[in-house]
Amino acid sequence: MNLFTMRSAYVAVLVAGAFAAHGPGPAALAQERSSGDAANGKRVYLADGCFTCHGRAGQGGAMNYPAPAIAKLEMPVESFVSFLRDAPNDMPAYSTDVLSDKEAADIHAYLQSLPGRKQAKDFPLLNQ
Amino acid sequence: MPKGSNAPDSGRRNFLKGATFAGAAALASPVAASTQASDPPKGSSKAAVPGPRLAAAETMPPSKDPVSQTTSGGDFMVDVFKTLDIDYLAMNCASSFRGLHEAVLNHGGNTKPEILTCPHEEIAVHMAQGYAKIEGKPMAMICHGVVGLQHATMAMYNAWCDRVPVIVMGGNIIEANKRGPGAEWVHSAIDPGAIARDFVKWDDQPTSLQHFAESAVRAYKVATTPPMAPVMLSLDAELQENPIADAETLKIPKLSKVIPPQGDSAALAELAKMLVVAENPVIIVDRVARTPAGMARLVELAETLQCAVIDNVGRMNFPSRHPLNQSFRRAILRQADVIVAMEVNELWGSLNAFSDRIVRSSKPNYKQGAKIVTLGSRDLYMKSNYQDFGRYQEVDLTIGGDAEASLPILIEQIKRLIDDGKKSAFAARGQKLAAAKLAAVEQAKSDATIGWDASPITTARLCAEVYGQIKDEDWSLVGTAIRLTWPHRLWKFDKPYQWNGVSGGAGVGYNLPASLGAALANKRHGRLTLAFGGDGDFLFAPSTLWTAAHHRIPMLYIVHNNRAYHQEYMYLQAMAARHGRGITNTATGITITDPNVDYATIARGFGVHGEGPIIDPKDLGPALKRAIAVAKTGQPAVIDVVTDPR
Repeated sequence: MNLFTMRSAYVAVLVAGAFAAHGPGPAALAQERSSGDAANGKRVYLADGCFTCHGRAGQGGAMNYPAPAIAKLEMPVESFVSFLRDAPNDMPAYSTDVLSDKEAADIHAYLQSLPGRKQAKDFPLLNQ
Repeated sequence: MPKGSNAPDSGRRNFLKGATFAGAAALASPVAASTQASDPPKGSSKAAVPGPRLAAAETMPPSKDPVSQTTSGGDFMVDVFKTLDIDYLAMNCASSFRGLHEAVLNHGGNTKPEILTCPHEEIAVHMAQGYAKIEGKPMAMICHGVVGLQHATMAMYNAWCDRVPVIVMGGNIIEANKRGPGAEWVHSAIDPGAIARDFVKWDDQPTSLQHFAESAVRAYKVATTPPMAPVMLSLDAELQENPIADAETLKIPKLSKVIPPQGDSAALAELAKMLVVAENPVIIVDRVARTPAGMARLVELAETLQCAVIDNVGRMNFPSRHPLNQSFRRAILRQADVIVAMEVNELWGSLNAFSDRIVRSSKPNYKQGAKIVTLGSRDLYMKSNYQDFGRYQEVDLTIGGDAEASLPILIEQIKRLIDDGKKSAFAARGQKLAAAKLAAVEQAKSDATIGWDASPITTARLCAEVYGQIKDEDWSLVGTAIRLTWPHRLWKFDKPYQWNGVSGGAGVGYNLPASLGAALANKRHGRLTLAFGGDGDFLFAPSTLWTAAHHRIPMLYIVHNNRAYHQEYMYLQAMAARHGRGITNTATGITITDPNVDYATIARGFGVHGEGPIIDPKDLGPALKRAIAVAKTGQPAVIDVVTDPR
């Protein structure tokens, strides 16, 4: 095994692209704002183990492939729910048996509420 | 079991000789013996009448039973180790090698080798694995040939998969009639090496001291010839313990190391042509740099071609911030027209996307039609049982030979083919790659800001804080937690000793003891050794810390404490989602909570400086400063950092 064993970087790119966590600007984001319950979304996000791959702050992580950052998610809620139902590769597909549409929408709202990326230049420890 | 000329006349288990003396005494007293034999007991006596042997034993002087000796086979074995320049002998003490143990101390002066006391045999082997990857030469370890070797085997498998030389020895008592009752029987075997033969390159059980000398030198030679691997010697206890009977005939043979095989020059010339005409060549490397020269050669190759390098980080192959380092841009494989894999153990895994679903599937992640070439020693030696060689990957050209040794020829061949037009094209390609590299680094920094102040602490913040404290030191990172890639994304690795790869076999329990072995190697060079390691890994061999404290090996060990066997957490979550019957209870059997483990307290219990648990990221910097100050005094230190999963 090697440290990176990213069996396929391109798969990770596809997944990251699907989430497009740093794609559209604020205007587009505002139009796609979820109506879900962010507080319940956080509860479900932690209880259902989403954090295990994507981090509690939505910063991303890795299983066998890199798991993309999803903080400040900009994917529309319908697309997000659809993605969860038929997630690709290592990501589990969450059926309605284990995750309702309402819970999925709440997770979406929670992810949208997360602060996401900041300007790296403002962090001296990241510029050494 | 023949013992040849080394068979002693004063062995501690010399029951046979005692019996012979008694028999001779009986023969010398024929009358008495005859009398006893013809005078049967009368009545119902409870005790048997003494026989001729007992009578003789009671009437004759005691048989010869020497209590001291002036030499031992172990002394000679130590002389062999000194000839091989073996610095350390890691061990958990055991009676089956008590002879050698004593010889190391009192004949060898406990130097070359110096004994490293390890509370577990797995620690001893893993220390040797980490040591060899920094120091460039093997360490020896010794254990009980049965139960100790059983403990050692997982670590030996890691070293095997990691292509690292380790000289493993196990004590044994070969002759059945020499074994004392009890432990000496359950700790003996007719073939101790059998349990490890699938993951050692060579093994032997010498039956004389001359045999030992030749096999020890051969073992060293075999282990250090690429592809490198552990070797094993089973050492008979009497061979170690008893006097040397034939000292004047013993000879320690000269070690003549094998010159690592270079790839065929014609094949390298063909590869050079392919690389020079390629539009987007990509080099994938894993365990290329086996000496400090390896990284410089690989840099020269990449800069000559101005081509992308993807480093699987099995060794310190390529500088992390080099503009041509594209390790975090593997999508470039889809544009590559020539892919050269050097010392890559499982190439298929690097070139294919695998889907771990109900129906497992895969698809190539490189451009169809791309020429694939391998250069390395992988195809020169492998074994069949354990499947560490990975799935068969179709390639266009396989060049058997040590990659590092072959690089100078390949570079020279390439330089001969490059004209000014090529130079210009290569420079343009290099500029594009450099720009992409810069963007990837900026992306990493941006990603690292997410959850910067979160608790549990993000792994990005952890790694940034650590680098902030060590970047101006002469540092060496020798361990990491699973999938912890932030150091390679954020830090500047540009010295051959600043990284030494990972476990090899993904056997959990590697990281802490292997890091300590690497720290031991770094100690003599005055480097600041640091390592990250998962909490689950830590719990397999926490007593490694006692060895660290006892031998005063400086090391900063940072526990990436996500309070779970986290990779399995994700696998179980996937299973639960697949089966659709509940996804909220997968923590059972996975998490390491209730109670939370206090790693700093464990460290202190072993005599090691302990910090933590660190929960607030603001506390990281001061804790790191204190721990580094301890390490600089020559002592180990542990920091327990409660982190987010990955």
